[in-house]
Amino acid sequence: MSVINQNKLNLYKIFNPESVAIVGATKVPGTVPYDIVINILKSDFQGIVYPVSPKEKVIAGMKTYKYVLDIEEPVDLAVLVFPSTVCHLALEQCGQKGIKSAIIISAGFREIGGNGIEREAQIKKIARDYGISFIGPNCLGVINTDPEVMLNASFARKMPEDGNIGFLSQSGALCTAVLDYAQAKHIGFSKFVSFGNKADINEIDLLYFLADDPKTEVILLYLEEISDGPGLMKAAQEIIRKTGKPILSIKSGRTEAGASAAASHTGSLAGSDEICEAAFKQAGIIRCGNIEEMFNIAIAMAYQPLPQNNRVAIITNAGGPGVLTTDAAINDGLRLARFSDETTLVLKKSLPVTANIKNPVDIIGDARADRYKVAIAQALKDQDVDGVFVILTPQSMTDIESIARCVCDVAVEHDKPVYTSFMGEADVAVGIDILQRNNFPHYILPESMSKAFAKAYQFRKHLEEEKNGLVTFKDVDTPKAQKILNAALKKKRTYLTEDQSLAVLEAYRLPVLKSVLATSVEEAVRFSEEVGFPVVMKIISRDIVHKSDVGGVILDIKSTKDVKAAYDTIMSNVKTKMPKARLDGILVRKMIPDGVEVILGIKRDVSFGPVVMFGLGGIFVEILKDVSFRVAPFDMKTALSMMHETKGRALLEGVRGQKERDMQALTDCLLRLSQLSVDCPQIKELDINPLIVLEKGKGAFLADARIMI
Amino acid sequence: MNKNEVTNRVKKAIANVLKVAESEISDDANFIFDLGADSTQSIELVAAFEEEFDVEMDEAKALEVQTVSDAVSFISGYLNS
Repeated sequence: MSVINQNKLNLYKIFNPESVAIVGATKVPGTVPYDIVINILKSDFQGIVYPVSPKEKVIAGMKTYKYVLDIEEPVDLAVLVFPSTVCHLALEQCGQKGIKSAIIISAGFREIGGNGIEREAQIKKIARDYGISFIGPNCLGVINTDPEVMLNASFARKMPEDGNIGFLSQSGALCTAVLDYAQAKHIGFSKFVSFGNKADINEIDLLYFLADDPKTEVILLYLEEISDGPGLMKAAQEIIRKTGKPILSIKSGRTEAGASAAASHTGSLAGSDEICEAAFKQAGIIRCGNIEEMFNIAIAMAYQPLPQNNRVAIITNAGGPGVLTTDAAINDGLRLARFSDETTLVLKKSLPVTANIKNPVDIIGDARADRYKVAIAQALKDQDVDGVFVILTPQSMTDIESIARCVCDVAVEHDKPVYTSFMGEADVAVGIDILQRNNFPHYILPESMSKAFAKAYQFRKHLEEEKNGLVTFKDVDTPKAQKILNAALKKKRTYLTEDQSLAVLEAYRLPVLKSVLATSVEEAVRFSEEVGFPVVMKIISRDIVHKSDVGGVILDIKSTKDVKAAYDTIMSNVKTKMPKARLDGILVRKMIPDGVEVILGIKRDVSFGPVVMFGLGGIFVEILKDVSFRVAPFDMKTALSMMHETKGRALLEGVRGQKERDMQALTDCLLRLSQLSVDCPQIKELDINPLIVLEKGKGAFLADARIMI
Repeated sequence: MNKNEVTNRVKKAIANVLKVAESEISDDANFIFDLGADSTQSIELVAAFEEEFDVEMDEAKALEVQTVSDAVSFISGYLNS
């Protein structure tokens, strides 16, 4: 069997063992080792349980084994609950016994530093030597609610209800809170996994496992650190494309002080959280801000079909909440469905004259189940409706329970999503309970309902989006770029000079405006006449950083005569203001015509690798931080989406008499930067500021760039 | 005190604290993995060794000792100094 297949089988056995050994069990109630034994027994596990304890003879009425090696029968899964100091001894024996799957619950490894790091390395080596796959250490454990397995190999208090949501969490403590939260809302799980330090099996392995799991339809992932960003993105893209299963994720650690210490614009704007946000979006992962938001979206996707489009019908017995929901829906990018004539007619006939039969449909405060029934059924029948929001507020005559049952009965006959919001808490609880038990997404706030629908709709759109392949430019000169970068690294430089930076970009056929370093008036004149007027001239000296401050820059030079004058003026200015400066000459460059200034950049992220940034120049980047990021390499659609994402995009598209800019040239630059960032890992950060984008068809030019290595 | 004597007295102390027969305690037995000591008993073991040998040990270092043979070496170090 290949290693990959063996690892897959090992992982399968963690969730579907026929026999489990709890290694390090005790009979002291209230301890993790004891509770694990009891939880497995209480969960109605369909296989055989072997407690292994050096001291006890019987635990919970079961014969106990001193060592795992003393068990005569084969064992599929070992759950290690020994203190971390002896886990290696236990795992070694598991290996000798031929056990290939393990969960290491024990804490006291990498997370505590020092000896813990060594201990983690030790168990990883043993696992490698014996071909063991393990979850943990430092985790809560694993739960499989499949009725044919029923395994609670964790120290969570309760076995959750059976469901179609798979939950993966790096935090064990969060798991127990989530289980409690979910229980109150009758949210069921297919698999529930706390993977702790992920010393062996990580979130990527588990994502692939849940992708193959027929019981799982929606995957939730809580992460504290991403160890392999590109791997995570690839897994998510593959899983979503092949299975259509949505992946929702919370990645904690949104704030970061480190970004401010970066050396470039791109570095300072691209904090790890911004990059994570961009990477998740790129991979199709739905990022959630908190647990509530995650479950709001998860239940929508797990319980109801995805909406075909974004047209919703709102059925409410209260005007105010109807308006609130309408506002939320529009803000979330949804549309209010325009009812067909048939729907209008049916509603008119069936509802009181005081009812509002237009969307949002107000069936009036005294509405009972019959009015809800006719309105929901007709809305679901209407071809111009993609989903229905049912809102209820509890008046004295509102038969909450009947209405809840009516929603379930009517909705189940149609293949369109129905979301509900029974507003309030105490009186509506009975109705909410019915809805939740029947797998109808319920939201206390209509705004949450709208947001969940919008996310489900966006996911549907994401599934339908066609991907176009990566563009690889053949005209680039990678060896030349590498040579420049390596030469600078050899000299222990941390950044390239402007000339070197431009040469690297030129090697990748980015539109670098040609320039020449003139060491005499004659050279300056000759080059100016070659490239054509107007030109720009500026002093080049390793001792002068701020060229304008010393009168070292003159713009818009229109004739040979002016070139001569400018040359003398610059030399004279510099000699007066910085007489000791070492002068290399005067750079002459064609002056770029007016255009829209944009900033492009590269940054290398610890988790995701090379990242490309796009933003509009000036205040858009300086004050509004109106920038977008994508992990490289990316395709043309992604490059276009980077531009569309920024608020300043209207300037490129042409507004208020301005002409449309050359988006094709800009896209080309982004794609070439993407390729450069992948081909040349020496580049830590890169800024092109500005790139001047001319009118459509006239291209784009860059004159200044900075590369940090 | 020779090594055998130290070993026998170490085993005696262990047997008392962990409630196991001395005959079941091998020289290379691990207090936790083989003899089932929990965290409280590990502290009790240190105290028992101190009392048995009338020495005062560095508790942090003593708690790092995991096996009978290591305990014998560790205690011998105190007895010989």
